[in-house]
Amino acid sequence: MRRVGVTGLGAISSLGGTLEENWRSVISGRSGIAVHVMDPGERGPPAQELPLARVEPGYAGRLDQALGRPIAGSLDPFAMFVLIPALEALQQAGLRDDPVLREDTAVVVGHGLCGVATLEVAYERFFGQRSPRIHPATVPKVMVSAGASALAMALHVHGPVFATSSACASSGHAIAQGAALIASGEVEVALVGGSEAASTCGSIRAWEAIHAMSPTSCRPFSADRDGMILGEGGAILVLEEVEHARARGAPLLGELVGVGMSSDAHDITKPAAEGQARALAKAARAARALERTDVLVSAHGTGTPLNDSTEAEALVEVFGEAARKFPVIATKSAHGHLIGGSAALQAVLGLRALSEGLAPPIQNFTTHDPACDLDLVLGAARPITSGMLLQNAFAFGGLNVALAFSAGVS
Amino acid sequence: MAKPSDDQLFDLIAEETQVDRAALNRNAGLADLGIASLDVMSILFEVEERFGIQVEDEDLATCTTLGELMDKLAGAGAAAAAS
Repeated sequence: MRRVGVTGLGAISSLGGTLEENWRSVISGRSGIAVHVMDPGERGPPAQELPLARVEPGYAGRLDQALGRPIAGSLDPFAMFVLIPALEALQQAGLRDDPVLREDTAVVVGHGLCGVATLEVAYERFFGQRSPRIHPATVPKVMVSAGASALAMALHVHGPVFATSSACASSGHAIAQGAALIASGEVEVALVGGSEAASTCGSIRAWEAIHAMSPTSCRPFSADRDGMILGEGGAILVLEEVEHARARGAPLLGELVGVGMSSDAHDITKPAAEGQARALAKAARAARALERTDVLVSAHGTGTPLNDSTEAEALVEVFGEAARKFPVIATKSAHGHLIGGSAALQAVLGLRALSEGLAPPIQNFTTHDPACDLDLVLGAARPITSGMLLQNAFAFGGLNVALAFSAGVS
Repeated sequence: MAKPSDDQLFDLIAEETQVDRAALNRNAGLADLGIASLDVMSILFEVEERFGIQVEDEDLATCTTLGELMDKLAGAGAAAAAS
């Protein structure tokens, strides 16, 4: 049986432009959430101030520098947010210029939306300036597969390359599909993950309209939680067939040992514990996690009232009372909700937590909620002895993914 | 409507394609400069916007050097200025 290891990790978010910066932030309790002024310009409604978790400017220039040629101008930020962490992850994996990229590698990246910043500029010209002429680079920058194509072109990947889209679970599905391509023998390596760059003036108003956004901050599992904070950024994992990694002496950072996917088939916004439990149970059975007591749960944990209690219910449904003893982390409280990129960023941070033996604290928590009676990691980073990470990703439309990673590779 | 000068076109092309302005000269091949079909579309878009001229897309398809491309763009500008 072909097994799927992890040999490289990379991340970019409001917490920093590398995984190291992201990790140091979450472990020290530093937040990337801050109040921003979003001004849609003279033809838009008045500017608004609101809390967001935005990536610091300067990343485009650093990307051009890293690749040794100008590329950023041809990409929407959402595509740059997979390319930047991919370079970092490949560096760690020692595969940056390896021939395996050309012939035996897949790229599968998930995004819930697409190039909304580019789309807003184009439509502002059309509706605002009443110009019938839209820039010719608009479609190639906006399309949901633009990030996947940018990765393939920059890294010379000629294998299967595509994007997955399932709203807030998009990069969870991407990880699952990339792993399946390795398990089936289609490829030896898969660059998987995802990103989002949706904190634009118009997009923010759309998120507000569904009353999903918190006017204050993201407080997962806290009794006074009142919504999510929109974040941006992305993360990439290098998945590699275990024997392939061993043969070249690459360090294995973990193994993907269980995947569960399901659909609630219930409601376009409301989650259902039964559907989530179905995905969790599949992943847990495959990973033989049901008998374990050393599971670290990286919760979907958006901080919206219904999501967090439903997730707690699903965990208990699958693991019984043992679920209440698993340490639970929720890093969206630090980096906000990356929508399609969340599962990848949280998995990357969760894997780092396993290897460091340290769980980052849930930030902004104030009050215990009896409906979320779990062992939440609160206050400060907590030493852990977990041997397995359970990464949850649950999306609008009831699309669920659960991923189980073991800390080491036996 | 105006005919764009070589300097104006070099500035615009460097901006649109992010190719170093110093590397641009009339004899350089588009492929050698890394100027792809989409870049040509972007250059065309900006030239038409800034100089208020109209260039037929198919006129540009045969260009292989920067000079040929610039002549087509400037030629459309000259024709527009004369009409």
